[in-house]
Amino acid sequence: MLGMVKKETIAMLLAGGQGSRLGVLTNSVAKPAVPFGGKYRIIDFTLSNCVNSGIDTIGVLTQYQPLELNTYIGSGQPWDLDRLFGGVTILPPHIKGSHGEWYKGTANAIFQNIHYIETYNPEYIVVLSGDHIYKMNYRWMLNYHKEKKADCTISVLNVPYEEASRFGIMNADADFRIFEFEEKPENPKGTLASMGVYIFTWKKLREYLSRDENDEESENDFGKDIIPSMLDGGERLFAYEFKGYWKDVGTIESLWEANMDLLDPNVPIQLDDPLWKMYSRNNVLPPQFIGGDSVIENSYVTEGCKIDGMVKRSILFPGVTVEKGALVNQSIIMPNATVREGAVVEYSILAPESVIGAGARVGVAEGMDDASRRQNITVVGRGSSIGDHAEVEVGQTVSGNLPGKEEGEAQC
Amino acid sequence: MLNVLGINFAYNDRENLRELTQLRTLASLPIAGKYRIIDFVISGLVNSGINDISIITKNNYHSLVDHVGAGNDWDLNRKIGGIRILTPLSQPGMPENAGLYKGTAEALARNLHSIKRTVAEHVIMTGSSVVCFSLDYEELLYTHVKSGADVTAVYASSLNGYKKVPLGIPVFSFDENMRLTGIRGNEDDITRQEATWSAGIFVIKKSLLEALVSDCIARGGYSFYYDILDYLKGNLMIKGYHYDKQLLEISDVTGYMNANMNFLKSSFRDTAFERPIYTKVKDSVPTLYCRGCRVKDSIVADGCKIQGIVEDSIISRGVKIGRGTVVRNCIVMQNAEIMNDVELQYVIIDKDVIVREGQKLIGHEKYPVVVEKRSIV
Repeated sequence: MLGMVKKETIAMLLAGGQGSRLGVLTNSVAKPAVPFGGKYRIIDFTLSNCVNSGIDTIGVLTQYQPLELNTYIGSGQPWDLDRLFGGVTILPPHIKGSHGEWYKGTANAIFQNIHYIETYNPEYIVVLSGDHIYKMNYRWMLNYHKEKKADCTISVLNVPYEEASRFGIMNADADFRIFEFEEKPENPKGTLASMGVYIFTWKKLREYLSRDENDEESENDFGKDIIPSMLDGGERLFAYEFKGYWKDVGTIESLWEANMDLLDPNVPIQLDDPLWKMYSRNNVLPPQFIGGDSVIENSYVTEGCKIDGMVKRSILFPGVTVEKGALVNQSIIMPNATVREGAVVEYSILAPESVIGAGARVGVAEGMDDASRRQNITVVGRGSSIGDHAEVEVGQTVSGNLPGKEEGEAQC
Repeated sequence: MLNVLGINFAYNDRENLRELTQLRTLASLPIAGKYRIIDFVISGLVNSGINDISIITKNNYHSLVDHVGAGNDWDLNRKIGGIRILTPLSQPGMPENAGLYKGTAEALARNLHSIKRTVAEHVIMTGSSVVCFSLDYEELLYTHVKSGADVTAVYASSLNGYKKVPLGIPVFSFDENMRLTGIRGNEDDITRQEATWSAGIFVIKKSLLEALVSDCIARGGYSFYYDILDYLKGNLMIKGYHYDKQLLEISDVTGYMNANMNFLKSSFRDTAFERPIYTKVKDSVPTLYCRGCRVKDSIVADGCKIQGIVEDSIISRGVKIGRGTVVRNCIVMQNAEIMNDVELQYVIIDKDVIVREGQKLIGHEKYPVVVEKRSIV
């Protein structure tokens, strides 16, 4: 065929997960669309990694609450992914012939999109998930995959032994060839934890996907089914050790912590890196305005914010207002949230468009130490409004509106 | 979509912006932290539904070309309409300085081939030294068509509440029916109470503009104000349209300073940003406020790192301000680095400037210090 182009490597990004442990934050959006780091969404990290690694063809597999994610990705222009050939394509579950079905598992999701993949006739495919925070050059991992003549390469982190039982552990020999995979083992034999980043030689994966599809017992999952059956089949699986910052932001506490990591100069994740830019869809907003009575310390603040109060060790997303006399401390304030006069917000995550009434107290606990407060993050759901002088206790989650109280009224 | 071609003149013949326009044209002068002057002009047109825009440049337009690009950020990367930058066209056999237009009529004449090619019925012309960001072009066009005027000229009578007439600006006089009776340049810096001065914005039928421009050049004229409007005021029906809202007026350094400082007032900000103002996306990270920094009454763009004290200032994208440094009443442009223990007051720091440790620069409100692009102090 004339003008036929081939893509050596394409990426498939699994973005259909609900992230149910994020509670109210994922009520109406998929986990990859959850705001992160001041002006990003979680998925920006994976998308930017792809683009910075020279991968320009990405299928994004959506299933749970895809509307906001679809709108966010759009034509892919913010990531330079609006291409003549390739670019970003949203891949929802669809009807084929007489019937259709949901994505039954991660492997099944890829299987259902074999046609998409074959359009590009790739040699390799990178399977990613859209819910981790890390900066990684997939190109280096691909070179490793080629050097090892691997069928599958899995990116791993060397974790402390005590934590190993929380992860999927790859047991590998001295040459990093994997001989066994254990999901959350009670007594781990090794400490190489899977990061959920896979590179497959496409021909091989295709073969195993079809076989897996015919297996009625299978859960159609990469970790549970594909990797074990490839190991059984004697294929060449290698672990690729990644030595950088990587965080699964699966829970409220880890989401809070990963955001706070950005403010800690000792944590090796720098957003401000001209050679590894993080791209995101920008809102059209004026610059931030910092008023005469404000104090801001150790915080990230972005476009459209209007600050007249006190902000300490916090991350403020676009369009946030902090009124006079209010205090925001150790908190994450998502887009367009408002903290009214004299309100106090500590160790909290305020979801987009939430409003904290004047004099209200959210997550305030006197006498509780930092370590236990980090484990009890208070959450205010999207669009929720906390009435004037109301109180949200430490660790509580509010979705919907909480009525206000008269000033000075006894708390009961 | 309106049946209108928007034409913006990216330069101004009477500007005096010292070092600020040494390397750039007026339209690409940074303003209000993250914008260039042209962002307010183009966004205004786009917000009124004008999606076919030509920008006429004269010189120093590299930074403008770089900023506008294909027009994506204003949603102007279109098949129908879109944005085009018209750079001076130098033809073989022309005298050496032929590209440098003597006046706006000559500039239009030299770009007639492009103007003729578009299918719009009307043309709205705008300048870059007076920016009427709250102007509703749709209403302006409606008024123009309804009045039956040949040309509608937008004028202002105050500078954000002050009865000031910018130096050198053309001053209109009208009869009781708001028909133009005369134009003269404001050559002395006298404050007039009741002057109606040009906002540099005109509406005219495209076919008429083409004819007037060709005729003007044939007569040996070059100025749109004097060789077309003033010369033909008896034959053409030229009507005034009063713009009485907030505006930006940038023809000298003090005006530039004032235009920026206006944004520190919340009422001005609220009007200026009532409709979206688009600009080039830079993917800057959020701004980091470090321990011990104090920022008051200032506009700060993204990508900055602030450790010192900032008051009543405009800070652009990617600026670094060191520990122990005090910045007051300043404009600091993109990627400038102010190191530790520096003191700045009434200073305009251009792009990529480095101010080294312990330096002290103090200007005056009426005559700010300007530090040229890429210099090291």
